[in-house]
Parts: sequence; C-alpha cells; structure tokens
Amino acid sequence: MTKKSTIEKWLSRPIYSYLLAAGSVLLCVILSFHLAYSQSYHLVAFILLLLVSFLSTFLSTGPILLASTLSAITWNFFFIPPNKTFHIERTDDLLIFVLFFAIAVINGIFTSRVRMQKDLVRQRENRTNALLELTKALSGAGTIEDILKVATFQIASQFRTSPLFLLMDLDGNLNLPELPHHNGETALLSWVLKHNTRAGRHTPHFPESAYTYLPLYGNKIKPGILRLEQPQAFDADQAQLWEAFLVQIGNALERESLNLLARKAKFLDESDRLYKTLFNSISHEFRIPVATIMGASDTLLNGQYSPPMQSELFHEILTASVRLNRLIENLLNMSRLESGQLALRPDWHDINDLFNKVTSELKTELENNRVNTLIAESMPLVRMDFGLMEQVIYNLLLNATQYTPKGTTINLEATHANNQMILRVHDYGPGFASKDLLNAFNKFFRIKNSQTGGLGLGLSIVKGFVEAHGGTITLENHKQGGACFTISIPSENPNMENMPVNDDEIQRDNTSKI
Amino acid sequence: MNDQPTILVIDDELQIRRLLEISLSAKGYKVAHAATGQGGMVEAATLHPSLIILDLGLPDNDGQVILQDLRRWYSKPIIILSVRNAETEIIQALDNGANDYLTKPFRSGELLARIRAAIRLSEQQSDQPIFTFGPLSIDMVNHMVKKSDELIKLTATEYALLCLLVKNSGRVLTHQFILKEIWGYSYMEQTQYLRVYVAQLRKKIEQDPARPSFLITESGIGYRFGE
Repeated sequence: MTKKSTIEKWLSRPIYSYLLAAGSVLLCVILSFHLAYSQSYHLVAFILLLLVSFLSTFLSTGPILLASTLSAITWNFFFIPPNKTFHIERTDDLLIFVLFFAIAVINGIFTSRVRMQKDLVRQRENRTNALLELTKALSGAGTIEDILKVATFQIASQFRTSPLFLLMDLDGNLNLPELPHHNGETALLSWVLKHNTRAGRHTPHFPESAYTYLPLYGNKIKPGILRLEQPQAFDADQAQLWEAFLVQIGNALERESLNLLARKAKFLDESDRLYKTLFNSISHEFRIPVATIMGASDTLLNGQYSPPMQSELFHEILTASVRLNRLIENLLNMSRLESGQLALRPDWHDINDLFNKVTSELKTELENNRVNTLIAESMPLVRMDFGLMEQVIYNLLLNATQYTPKGTTINLEATHANNQMILRVHDYGPGFASKDLLNAFNKFFRIKNSQTGGLGLGLSIVKGFVEAHGGTITLENHKQGGACFTISIPSENPNMENMPVNDDEIQRDNTSKI
Repeated sequence: MNDQPTILVIDDELQIRRLLEISLSAKGYKVAHAATGQGGMVEAATLHPSLIILDLGLPDNDGQVILQDLRRWYSKPIIILSVRNAETEIIQALDNGANDYLTKPFRSGELLARIRAAIRLSEQQSDQPIFTFGPLSIDMVNHMVKKSDELIKLTATEYALLCLLVKNSGRVLTHQFILKEIWGYSYMEQTQYLRVYVAQLRKKIEQDPARPSFLITESGIGYRFGE
C-alpha cells in the first residue's frame, strides 16, 4: 500500500511524469535498433504503440501526448527509410506513420480518460463511505458529548483538522468554552449567529481571522457554530463532502438538543406537579393537628372543666402533636431519599431488637390490634441500617393499625433463606383493591376515601429505604385475607470465625462459695 | 446533699426552658437555666448542679464543645436533649462524656425517668459490691448472679459484659466502648460478637428474652442497663 502510494505521489508531480514518458520512449527506441535491422522496422511501431498503451494506464493526458508524439517522430527519424531524416519516401510508410500517430494518441487519451473516470468514481465512493460512516456513528451517539466526539473524530480522519464546537445551551445562549479568545472572536461569533452565514478565513467575511466559523443548521433550531482550523481552502470535492458532513452533524445535534428540551420540559412539569401536591397536602395535613392543639389548649385556658374532660383534651393535644411529629419525620425522610444523600450505616443487628423497638414505639396505636411476632428459630444476625429499617417496619405497622378493623391480628414475621432476610407484615384487614396494589408505593398515593390523615409518603419511603439496602418489597393480598408486605434484603451470615471465646464458667462450685 | 437537687438547663429555646422549668420543679427539682454555652459554663461553675441538661445546637458554641469543656471538671450526670438525631452525633456526645441523650420532641415522663436514674446512679457511687435490679442480683465479690434467688451460670465473657453494664447502669454504653472494654481495641468494629453475647446473656437473665427489661438496646448506638 505504502509503496504504491509513494509511486503515485511521485507521479503526481507533472515534471516526473513527462520525464518518465519521454525517457521510456527513448529507451524503447534505443533497444529496438537491433530488432529493426534484423527483422522489420514496422515491428518497432508496434512495440512503441504497446509502450504508449502501457503508459496510458497510469499517466495523464499531457505525458501521453508527449509519448505519442515523441514515438512517432523518433520512429520516423530513426526507422522509416531514408533513416535519420524526417522525409518519408514511400506512400504506404507515410500512411502507416499517420495511422501510427492517430492510434497512439487516441489509444492513449481514451485509456487515460477511462482511468480518470474510474478515479472519479472511486473518490465519489470514498466520499459516500465517509458520509455513511459518519451517519452510522452519529445515529449511535446517544448524548451531545457522544455526537461531538464522533463528529470530531470523523472530521479529523477525513479532513485532517480538528474542529471546535460552540453549542447553544437550552436557553439559547452560546456556550463559550474556557479558551484564550482571539481578538474580536466574540464579535465574529455573534455576527455568524446573527447573519447565519459562514465567516472567517477563506470566506468573504472577516477573512483575516485565523479560523473559519460555520453555523450549524438543523431543521428547526440552530445548534451552534463550528470553528475550524483550515490552513488551505477545501478543493471542490472536499467542499462537497464537507457540506454533507455539516448537514449530518447539525441534524444530529438538533435531534439531541430537542430531546433534552423535551426531557427538561417533562421534568419541570413533573416537579411542578409534585410541588403543588406536596404543598396542598402539607398545609392540609399540618392544619388539622395544629387546629386540634390550638382548640384544645384554648378551651383548657378559658374554662373550668371536670378532670376527666381536661384529661381528654390533654390527650387530644398529645395525639395531635404525635401526628405532627410523624409528618415532620416522613417529610425529612422523603427529602433524605430525594436528595440522594442517604448514607447507609449498616451494622449487625438482632431482628428481635428491631421488632421490639417498633412495637414499643407504637404501643398506643397497637392497643386495638394483636401483634404476633414470629422470628425464625435459627434467625442469624442481619446487617442493616437500624434507623432506616425501624422506619420501614414502623410505617408498615402503623399503616396496618390504621386500615384494619379493631381486634384483628397483625403478623410480624422474620425468616432467612438463601442469604436473604425476609420480613413480612401481614394484616387481616380488607386488603388493597387490585388497582391500588400497583400504585401503593407511589409518592402521595392515598387510598380513595381514606379515613386517616397522612401525606401518602409512608409506603414510598418504605420502598426507598428497602431499596437503599439493595432489597425489594412486594405487596399482595393474602389468600387468608388482608394485605401482606414482603421485604427481602440480601444478608450474609456474620463472620464469627475469629471471635475470642471464653466459656469458662465463673462459679466453679456454688456450694463451696456460699 | 441539699434538700432538693438542682438541675441546670442549657438550651437556647425559651419555650423548651419554660417547659422544663415547669415539669422539673413540679417534681421537686430546683431549676436554673442558661441560653448560651458560655452562660451555661458560668452557671455550672457557680451552682454546682446535680445534673445538666444540654442542648447541642447552641448559638455561641457547638454543644459538643461545651460538653467537652464541662467534662474537664464536671463529673456529675449530663443529659443531652437535642433535635439532632443522627446516630453519629449521639455516639459522639456519649464518647464526649454525656451520660444519656434524648431527642426532641420528647415525652416529659421519659425525661424525668432518665433524670431520676442518672441522679441515683451518681449518688450511688459508693463502691458497693452487690447490685440488685428487681429479681436480679449481682454479687461482684463472690462472682454470683442470681435471678429470683436462683443461681445463674454465666461464662466468663458473659459475666464481664454483665458487670460492665451493671456498673454503668442507667447510662448508655456505645458498642465501641463495650467492645473495647471486653475484647480490646482490635475488636471495636466487631459488633456481631457483642450481639451474640447480648442475646446469650438475655436468655439467662431476662424474664422474657424477646422483650428484655434489663438489657435495653439503644438502636444503632449501644446498650443500657436498667429496670
């Protein structure tokens, strides 16, 4: 490959190809002297014709014409009698000479033209391939960064120059990178944006600039400007390919920018909706307990009530404040989840401790239900973030107390299988409507006509915290009735191998001591 | 001892100070308060209170720093009462010498119980060798542990753990502290060992090991021994 290309390069210099054409004709003439004397000088004509045909396979028209003319003249001069004169005596020789010259010229020119056409086709094919490659690579690029990377690479390999993309951001401002700007570059950029016309070097506008600036076009938006370092203007072929490149890159950038815009709009829409829901429900949910506290304490201050009535009012205040505190806790947990700053602090814990803690915290709420705690006999220690799992079980158990009839049982189970801890909260209430089973973990989801207050955050917090442990939670209606939440969290058995064991008993013999 | 123990409340929230003053004086305590860390230090030095209730979020100085400063000379109980409920914050406060902590919002009943336990513990500093908790008695001279007058067989490690907790009853001991005391520095991260021994010990000393009443878990922080 490289050898061929060096020869091609060498031949592309006109002077060498002319020298080659003349040299080979002269060499051929010298070598043919012997043949002419021993055989016939007509043979030499055929040899020269063969040479010209051969040369025309790789030389352009000029050198071929030179070779044809030179071979005709030398053949006439050295071989057609009388020798060493340009005079041709015989009519048939004259005819052969004219035919020779015509055949050489026509043959040479046609061959070289066919070759040139083939070259042209090859060039066109290369261009098509380059464009195809660019299109393929661009369609695979999923982000703006990918598109720029692909475009930069393809431009570098086709045009041997590295481009700089100056893109519009989503608000329509041109993003200027931290580069040492050339004098007047900013002015030039805004000119290009305003007139939507290329400028800079090799263009009629600002030709003194070091770079060429080309606006990128899409169908609807202008994605930005491309800055090109281009020491020489492109030739006609390159320019054509370059235009095609620009269109492709512009379209790809437009496609991705529009995507981004659409996504941003959707996100804004969603967060706006969330914001509204949150504020509506927060103000509602906060007002009720606050109203209770204000009303009850005001009543207590302004009247003489019997001790049982007073105690009832005090209880109302306490219940309302517990409810307020729960709201705050859930909001804080939600914001911890949403901010993505939930740092897990896992440690080895006894499931028994977890269940105890939650049931004792919910003692008042659980007064009307019976909680059945079932922990597998062989339950190992479990590695988890106690605080988060406490919140998980708390929310599930609180839900169960709120949505089940008085006197029903709530099962709280813990088992361990295949390196998974499985926790189950199963109540014997009405369960979930089948369409609610799917949405129960969504933020702000509330069961229709729910009698209890709340923001509808509890279960989404549960899900978030379980997932933070790399676990899953599922909800189904149990065959025996009631809702059943199943949590499974990966959990290896703790490593006890290096535990120092001192199993000596402290009392050697209790009778001797007493 | 004077007639009534004095309690110093260091908290910048006026409402909390007022609330504590009412509920504590109703129970017969004398109450003094300060709204800043510096003011608290001065009050503590002049009044020598029997107990200090300290908030961690003070306007002039971080409560953890005040706690460290107090502990340079003040040896009586300090209870932390703060809205900061991160486990790391609580563990740091306990390591800095706090006896106990409660997070706001709190129930006054719970706070009063903690105060009673802490004061009793600090006054009980006599080196008595026998401790009794309900049906449980621990005789540290004769190495004997009895539940309802029945002798309990404990292993050496279980006994060491029990003694450590009993000697600090009413006080929250962090996992790291217990692990260091029982097994040594290199075991300070091996919480699982501690859990195993706690479970064993509970089986032997508790009436209902699933619902312990003596050896109480302070989730994510440590253990406390009490009635």
